[in-house]
Amino acid sequence: MAQAATERELTMSRAMVEAVASEMRDGDEVFVMGEDVADYGGIFDSTQGLLAEFGRDRVMDVPISETAFIGAAVGAAQQGMRPIAELMFVDFFGVCMDQIYNQMAKNTYMSGGAVNVPMVLTTAVGGTYNDAAQHSQTLYGTFAHLPGMKVVVPSTAYDAKGLMHSAIRDDDPVVYMFHKRLMGLGWMPAPEGPKTPVPEEAYTIPFGEADVKREGSDATVVTLGLHVHRALEAAETLAEEGVEAEVVDLRTLVPMDTETVVESVRKTGRLVVVDEDYRSFGLTGEVVTRVAERALDDLEAVRRLAVPDVPIPYARPLEEAVNPDTGAIAEAVRETVE
Amino acid sequence: MSRDEGEDEADRVALDSGAVWPADADDVEEAVVANWFVREGGRVEADAVVCEIQVEKVSIDVPSPVTGTLAEVLVAENESFARGDPLAYVTPA
Repeated sequence: MAQAATERELTMSRAMVEAVASEMRDGDEVFVMGEDVADYGGIFDSTQGLLAEFGRDRVMDVPISETAFIGAAVGAAQQGMRPIAELMFVDFFGVCMDQIYNQMAKNTYMSGGAVNVPMVLTTAVGGTYNDAAQHSQTLYGTFAHLPGMKVVVPSTAYDAKGLMHSAIRDDDPVVYMFHKRLMGLGWMPAPEGPKTPVPEEAYTIPFGEADVKREGSDATVVTLGLHVHRALEAAETLAEEGVEAEVVDLRTLVPMDTETVVESVRKTGRLVVVDEDYRSFGLTGEVVTRVAERALDDLEAVRRLAVPDVPIPYARPLEEAVNPDTGAIAEAVRETVE
Repeated sequence: MSRDEGEDEADRVALDSGAVWPADADDVEEAVVANWFVREGGRVEADAVVCEIQVEKVSIDVPSPVTGTLAEVLVAENESFARGDPLAYVTPA
């Protein structure tokens, strides 16, 4: 406690920005562009303060023109720059998917490795604040499904900084998906968990290493993003009932740390996968399948929780009904240990 | 942290919300503390950000005027305060 009191704590947004600023100081080839990233500092504070330090040549506001500016980032990356382009809401991917899907993800492969695309596409995901069907999607599966793309989803400030350093230094395209609810915004308070002590100095977190956020012996909960915190809350409730849930935070979807998930299931025998993306053809099915392929004999029970295959409702009670909450996670774990 | 017996109140420096109030928010009288970045009892550096306040849609950093210890937080996260209210006291070290 004495140590914690002297450590500075950052919100996830500040941790992200600290990594971006550090990389921009270290290398002129790193720059940022997107809608409202300069004067506004990112509508979810993802670029707050960068304009003041780096100026408009390196922190560029762009018009609503996703195809153009994401395409420009791809081109700049191929010429040796390291752009960070922000797609304001992941929901807007539809207008620029050719640049993302066909250029950003594939140009390394299609050029036979003659060029690489060291860019980061940052994008805000997730709901829980009544922003309706076109501003609340999570879409992890859509991006993780693309060959050639790495996909990062931090759940804490510590992870957000380390993963951002890794993303910018990576020579391949990375989609960095941050959950709005975890950013620590004044108008959308975060749960307790994402704000953590964060070292001042730069550090990296390797891709493909899941983090066991809580150890337990009775059931494995695999999740990411906002639902790491909901799962940890559920685990506290379950612990009072004598059920110890292990919470595995995937942190990166591509590459996915299948080994850590399988090891955990070998220990507990029970698997619950929780996702804020749509249920069908998505993350929950992928994780369950990977475990089944590797450790079918150890699996005693499986449950998956995700958003049913409906657009995210605007009405608060309806949105809450479709998004897996702490109670639903606890109940799913109980069902697996019965 | 409770005020220690015998602590010299005069030595404590207020974290003044009025000092960072945006000039174009003259007609706004209330704001919210969005985030504390240092816990009560933690060390603060002069000019380093201690907390962040949200005045309407704008978030504003509140730097510590001195190096020392965050002695007492007066406005908790997500609580509102009036323009000019002190947000905390810092004991210089």
